[in-house]
Amino acid sequence: MSSPPVTGSAEVPQRLGGPVPARFRPRRTPPAGSARPRRRGPLSYWRQYLAISPFYLIFAAFSFFPVFYSLYLAFQRWDGMGTMQFVGLQQFRFLWDDPVFWLSIRNTLVIWVLSTVPTLFGALMLATLLHSVRRFKGFYRIALYVPNVTSIVAVAIFFGAVFSNNFGLVNAILGMVGISPVPWLSNPWLIKLVIALLMTWQWTGYNMIIYLAGLQAIPNSIYEAAKMDGAGPIRTFFQITIPIMRPIILFTVIISTINGLQSFSEPQVLFGSNAANANLGGPGQAGLTTLLYFYQSAFLNNDYGYGAAIVWAFFVLIIILVAVNWRITTRGRKA
Amino acid sequence: MDLSRRGFLQAAALTAAASGLTVACGGSSGSGGTKNGKDLTLWYWGGALSDKVVAEAKTHFSSSVKLTSASIGGDFKQKLTTTIAAGTSVPDITGIKGEDMASFLPNASRFLDLNDLGFKKVSSQYLDWKTKLAQTKDGKQIGFPIDIGPTALFYREDLFAKAGVETDPAKVAALVKTWEDYFQLGTELQKKNPGTYLVNNIGSMFDMTVGQGTERFIDKNNHFIGDQDHIRAAWTTSVRPYTLGLDAKINDNTWNAAVGKTLLTELGAAWHALDIEQAAPQTKGKWRVCPMPVGPANQGGSYLALPRQCRNPEEAFKIISWILSPANDARGFTDAAIFPAAPAAYSMPAMTGPDAFFGGQKIIEVFGPAAKAVPLAYEAPADAAVMAPYKTELTNIEAKGKKPDDAWKDAVSQAKQIARRQGVS
Repeated sequence: MSSPPVTGSAEVPQRLGGPVPARFRPRRTPPAGSARPRRRGPLSYWRQYLAISPFYLIFAAFSFFPVFYSLYLAFQRWDGMGTMQFVGLQQFRFLWDDPVFWLSIRNTLVIWVLSTVPTLFGALMLATLLHSVRRFKGFYRIALYVPNVTSIVAVAIFFGAVFSNNFGLVNAILGMVGISPVPWLSNPWLIKLVIALLMTWQWTGYNMIIYLAGLQAIPNSIYEAAKMDGAGPIRTFFQITIPIMRPIILFTVIISTINGLQSFSEPQVLFGSNAANANLGGPGQAGLTTLLYFYQSAFLNNDYGYGAAIVWAFFVLIIILVAVNWRITTRGRKA
Repeated sequence: MDLSRRGFLQAAALTAAASGLTVACGGSSGSGGTKNGKDLTLWYWGGALSDKVVAEAKTHFSSSVKLTSASIGGDFKQKLTTTIAAGTSVPDITGIKGEDMASFLPNASRFLDLNDLGFKKVSSQYLDWKTKLAQTKDGKQIGFPIDIGPTALFYREDLFAKAGVETDPAKVAALVKTWEDYFQLGTELQKKNPGTYLVNNIGSMFDMTVGQGTERFIDKNNHFIGDQDHIRAAWTTSVRPYTLGLDAKINDNTWNAAVGKTLLTELGAAWHALDIEQAAPQTKGKWRVCPMPVGPANQGGSYLALPRQCRNPEEAFKIISWILSPANDARGFTDAAIFPAAPAAYSMPAMTGPDAFFGGQKIIEVFGPAAKAVPLAYEAPADAAVMAPYKTELTNIEAKGKKPDDAWKDAVSQAKQIARRQGVS
C-alpha cells in the first residue's frame, strides 16, 4: 500500500547554494544570526540593469510610449498628418452615442463567450485524456499544439474557404446528406460562431499544454487515496483534479479573457475581401469586433483621436471583465 | 556554464548599442538640405505602374540622378501617412491611390505644388476631371494622374444569346439606356437562364449609381448632403435588383467561383476585365463590354506625388512626366492593365487592338468615350468614411432581409454621426 515518493517541485530548491561563484549567491537570505549586510544603492547593480536593458528599451519605444501617446490622442482630433486639435471629452461623447461601437462590444463579448468556454472545457478534457494516454504521447501533444503556432491569416483564409456560403466544403458535405446550404458567412449568429470556432481551434491546444503540466504536478498518491475511498473517475475529476488545478485554471481564464477579447485578425481576414465593405466585419457587421472597429476608425477613416478613444474605453472594459472573472474563479477558495 | 560573465556583459552592451543604432539610422536621410540631390526614391505598389517603364526610367535618367524604386506592400496609405508624419525617410516620389487622394488634400502643404514645376504646361494632355480631383480648393496640384477606372457593363454574350436577346455591344447598349431598362432585360434573361443573376451585390450597384452623379455625400462648403435626393435616388435604384430577385447577394470571396457561372453581367471599371479573366478563364471569348446604363462612373485610378522633402524636385518632376507621358502610359496598359489618364494614349496601337477574352471586341471603343464622359464630383476627405454605412446597410438588406426603408434611415443617421466626428457640419 505504499504510495510512490512525491516527485516534482518540492525537490528543486535543494540545488541552490552549491559550488556557485560567491557573486551569484542569493543575497536575500543572510545566515541566521549574522548582522544585516550594508545596503547597496541601486547604482551599484548597473551591470545587471544594463543586462536587462535591451528589453526595456524596446518595450519603452514600442509599447510603453505608444500606449500613453494613444491616451493623449484620445483627447484630440487628428488625421494622422495635420495639426492636432484638442477636443476634450468630445471623442468619448461620440463614443457613447455611437451604436456601432456598442454593437462591436456586443459582438466581441458574444464571440469571446462562444470561444473561451469551449476552449477551456475542451482543453481540460483533452489534457485529462492525454494525461492517461500511454502511447504516442509526444505525437498527440504536438498535433494538438500545432494550431496555435499556425499563421492566423492562413487559418482564417482556410476557414473562409471551408465555410464559404456557396461553394464551401462544409456546405458540400451537408448537401450530401440532404441538408440545404447554411449561410455560414452571412447570418449574424453563424458569423460569430465561425469566428469563435476558429479561435477555439487555435487556442485549445495552448491551454491543453498548460493544463497537462498542471495535471502532471498532482501527486499520484492523492488519486490512489481517492480510489481507496471508492471515488469513481468522474467524482475524482470534479473533486480532486479541478480543486487542485484551480490556480492554473484561473491563469488560463485570465489569459483567455485578454486574448479572446482582442479578436481582430480573424474577422479582418475572413471579411477582408468583403466586396462592398472591407474591414467592417462582414454582413450586418456581425463580425465587427471592437479592435476591428478601432482599426477601421483610426487607420482607414484617418480618425486617430476616435480610434484612441475606442481602445481606451475597451481597455476599461477588459479590466472590469478580468476583475469579475477573478472574483468568480477564486470564489470560495479562502472559505 | 559556458557563458562567462564578461562575455555576457559584452554581448549585452553590443545589443544595447545595436538597438540604439537602429533607432538613430532612421533619422539620417530625407528632410531638408539641398534641393539638387542625386538620389531619388520612388514608392509605388505592385501594379500601380508598369515595372518595365520604371526600369527604363532608371536608365533614361541615370546621367543626372540615381532612381531607386521600392514596391511597397500592405497598407500603402498607412505607411505613407506614417512616414510623412514622422518627416524622415520620406520618398522623393510616391504613388497615391485615387480613393486616398481626398484624405491627403487637407495636408497639401506636405507635398509640392506640381504647378510650380511645370504641370500646367502638360495638364491639357490629361483628363480634366481626374486632374481636378488632386487639386486643393486654392488650386494647388498635388497629384499627377497615372490611370483611371472608367466603368462599363460587362456581359455574357452566350447567355444573352440563349435568352434570345441582342448580343452585339452597340445593340445591347441601346437596350439598356436606363437602369430600369437594364433591370427589365435582367428579368427576361433570368427567365431563360434559371439560377443566374444580373448583379453580384447591391453595394457595388450603389458605387456605380453614386459615381454617376456630380455630387457625393459632402458638398464643397463641408455640409453633409448624404440625406438628399441625389443619394436617395441612387439608393432606390441600387435596391431595385434586390426586390426584383436579380441580386446574387455575393459579399464574400465566392465571387471568384460565381463569376464564370451564375452572373449574367458585371458592372465594373476597365481594370475589372482582368479580375474576370483571372477568376473565370474558361469563359474566354464569351464576354462583351458595352456602355453602362445612364453613363459612366469612375472607380479607382492613382496619382504620383512629390512630398515636400523631395531632394530634387526638378528632376523628380521630369521623371514622373516621362513615366506618365501618353506613350509610356499606353505601355502601362499593355504591361499592367493600367488604363491611362491621358486620352492621347487611347488611339495608340497598344490600346486599339482586339481583345480575345472579349471575343475580339476592341474594348477601347467602349472605355475611351467612357473615360472622357466621367462626371466630376467634389470628393471630401471624409467622403469614403461617410459612404461606408450606406454600403453596410445595403449588405444588411441582403444578409438579414432588413427592410430597405429602415436600412436607409439607419444609414443616414450613422453617416451623419461619422460626418460630425470628422468635423463636417
